[in-house]
Amino acid sequence: MSPTASHDLAAGTLTATEHRLANGLRVVLSEDHLTPVVAVCLWYDVGSRNEAAGRTGLAHLFEHLMFQGSAQVHGNGHFELIQAAGGSLNGTTSFERTNYFETMPANQLELALWLEADRMGSLLVALDEESLQNQRDVVKNERRQRYDNVPYGTAFERLVALAYPAGHPYHHTPIGSMADLDAATLADAHAFFRANYAPNNAVLAIVGDIVPEQALAWVEKYFGSIPAGTGKVPPRDGTLPGNIGAELLEEVREEVPARALVAAYRLPPDGTRECDAADIAATILGSGMSSRLYNRLVRRDRTAITADFGLMRLVGAPSLGWLDVKAAGGAEFAQIRAAVDEEQARLGSDGATAEEMERAQARLEREWLDRLGTVAGRADELCRYAVLFGDPQLAFSAISRILDVSADEVRAVAAACLRPDNRAVLEYEPISRDAAAEAGQ
Amino acid sequence: VSDDLVVMDLHPLPAAGQAKPWEFPVPDRSSLATGLTVLCCHRPGQQVVAVEICLDAPLDAEPDGLDGIATVMVHALSEGCGPYTAEEFAAELERCGATLGSRVDYTGARISLEVPASRLPRALGLLTEALRAPTFAPGDVERLVHNRLDEIPHELANPARRAAIALSADLFPAWARMSRPRQGTLETVGRIDPAGVRAFYQAHVRPATATAIVVGDLPDVDLDAILAGTLGQWTGDPARPVPVPPVTADDAGRVLIVDRPGAVQTQLLIGRLGPDRHDPNWPALVVGTYCLGGTLTSRLDRVLREEKGYTYGVRAFAQVLRSPGASLLAISGAVDTGSTGPALADLQAVLRTLAVEGLTDVERDMAVQNLVLVAPLRYETAAAVAGTLADQVEQHLPDDYQAELYRRLAATSAAEATAAVVTSFAADRLVMVLVGDAAEIRQPVQDLGAGPVIVTAS
Repeated sequence: MSPTASHDLAAGTLTATEHRLANGLRVVLSEDHLTPVVAVCLWYDVGSRNEAAGRTGLAHLFEHLMFQGSAQVHGNGHFELIQAAGGSLNGTTSFERTNYFETMPANQLELALWLEADRMGSLLVALDEESLQNQRDVVKNERRQRYDNVPYGTAFERLVALAYPAGHPYHHTPIGSMADLDAATLADAHAFFRANYAPNNAVLAIVGDIVPEQALAWVEKYFGSIPAGTGKVPPRDGTLPGNIGAELLEEVREEVPARALVAAYRLPPDGTRECDAADIAATILGSGMSSRLYNRLVRRDRTAITADFGLMRLVGAPSLGWLDVKAAGGAEFAQIRAAVDEEQARLGSDGATAEEMERAQARLEREWLDRLGTVAGRADELCRYAVLFGDPQLAFSAISRILDVSADEVRAVAAACLRPDNRAVLEYEPISRDAAAEAGQ
Repeated sequence: VSDDLVVMDLHPLPAAGQAKPWEFPVPDRSSLATGLTVLCCHRPGQQVVAVEICLDAPLDAEPDGLDGIATVMVHALSEGCGPYTAEEFAAELERCGATLGSRVDYTGARISLEVPASRLPRALGLLTEALRAPTFAPGDVERLVHNRLDEIPHELANPARRAAIALSADLFPAWARMSRPRQGTLETVGRIDPAGVRAFYQAHVRPATATAIVVGDLPDVDLDAILAGTLGQWTGDPARPVPVPPVTADDAGRVLIVDRPGAVQTQLLIGRLGPDRHDPNWPALVVGTYCLGGTLTSRLDRVLREEKGYTYGVRAFAQVLRSPGASLLAISGAVDTGSTGPALADLQAVLRTLAVEGLTDVERDMAVQNLVLVAPLRYETAAAVAGTLADQVEQHLPDDYQAELYRRLAATSAAEATAAVVTSFAADRLVMVLVGDAAEIRQPVQDLGAGPVIVTAS
């Protein structure tokens, strides 16, 4: 009678088949005829962790260049053809991968494949200095808009730099620095393409209203002649101790609207039971409106207006736990910090209650349902598990793995990781505009 | 073409396959004995069901001087009700894997629930308690008020939000609710108390003037029985619809700079009033606005982003304020501080060229194809369908409006789209709000001749 998180909602009816072309391109197909749409998702196994010193931001800048034309696609033709066909499209770059996706009316699948193949096999024909200069300016404006011109906008960049030490492949974020964006050359872009944009460094997922044999024949037709690449340089090793070892504190005095405590924790890497346990611990601590931090800081102490704890799963380095507390009224850092430390310590010592486990698992199950409930979300997850773990089927069992975690495992990961000596902290102290100007901001 | 860079066999552009028919769903409409209107829509395979509750509690219903009370009220509905404390209610909802959101606009208040289908009855029961028996405990309401007061500085610090607040204040007459922030100001929110919240609830929340929309994979559930046992238990008096004043604005061309010394970008929001969805030219305006600034390949971004690199992206849009009533037409984006003058000059040139030369048939075709053919994708989830059905209810549109809109978009000519967008985005009738470094941008902006330039502290 009581609604509990359960396997009955798990993605048990979803299936996918796997294929590989002679050139090494891995292909994942998942049939679903509910709606006449199809998602095409292409993951390249390259991200900001692959960037060399002095060239931060290159992977993301390059992602922009992938939309500037190829042998048979002129200028913005990629966007124009997809949009005129009733599709939507984009690309994104993270630490560990770059993805490109088109979601189309089902009868336009062949167009999407033709476009993706054309740029995989012939991008350098069209890639010129003018495109590079233009997209460099666009990306610099993206950086200003998303990070530099908003309060707390550089918190993520600062914390990542603290949590992963200098020289570590995850020490810098995908957006890169202005100086490095300025320094990127056309030769860098060509070399980056040659090293990373090859069929054997990619996974293509096609999900939706498809005839699998037909889809596979088109993939063979359009991608089959692209030669395998040989220039791939594996990313530098991202292994780190599971604990930072001492709290790294940085006081940030900026023109921000209120005090904020933002922190990054090292958590177990994705693909482990401990990471799934950490996901549940993070949810119990700081996700939604019945979490421990919300109830404590926002409802009871009234020292905060938001108190969130999230998990960013990473494979090649410790995952990142993300604490974000925006202070209420005149609340002091000491009060907030004491409450956070007390709540996380209590989770580590006493563990989670059965009710908390149920709520957190129901919430995470729902998040998975949302992600797998659209063809685009499903295609992206299939690519993720294929690229990062070698097995796309793991996307369909992700919910089961979350539901399989015990309260004791949650307690154990909280005890090991959710502690002050395993975090980098920013304390944002608001200062006036004049003071900020004097500080040279 | 240097052939050594082509490492593959090139194939000609493939033709599209046979398109499959798709129609925006028309919901089943009924009403419960309590007066609650119910729209249901079965979407096979959508395991996460979306529920929207539309309440006749628009911002214009707020008492004078209490801007923000409607928002505090709808948020307070989920902060304790029936047998549940605020913490218990949040916990029960999350136990269902449900999410609940609420907001208030000029068209009314909206509560949005999403929940896996197997837990729909339980979540609807909780939602019903929130609607029929909110506690409005003084401590919880005061907390919401204080939270809201603490949120306002964050909004004012955000360039896009700051621009929106400034445009509303400048565009609409001071007496109009639309001239002031939807969620109130420090002054008005500071006056909100638990008794006032309860009074606003009692005046404006009742099934007789509300609509419930339920969308998802529904055939396995006996929806009538579930509704009878949940939302059907919510009762109340009949009432007349809340009267709303006409929408008016002063759109004489002018520039308002909200000064942000040292800002690395200028946030721009350039707007005026436009037609509502009841206007026969609405479909033409939708097509024309897409051509102007709907996407990266529209006229504005073709120049400002893809040619000049001044911006990460500029968009033009028509946002319905009320229908019948008006929409807010706007162009919005951010440009780097040093490029502000040239970017705005290019923006004006794009508008003037459009007025002189009109849209091409190719542009029109690409816009219409995108707007129409993207529908099955846009409405893949239950939440997307429910959201549009709720918009139709709040905007007094018939249940088959969206389906009909697609037919009318497809029948729109380039000339009609041109006329609609040129009339609407008239270059000399736009109020330009710029949030940026006045010392850097004032002179170049003055040189544009876009009307008087006023600088205000942020």
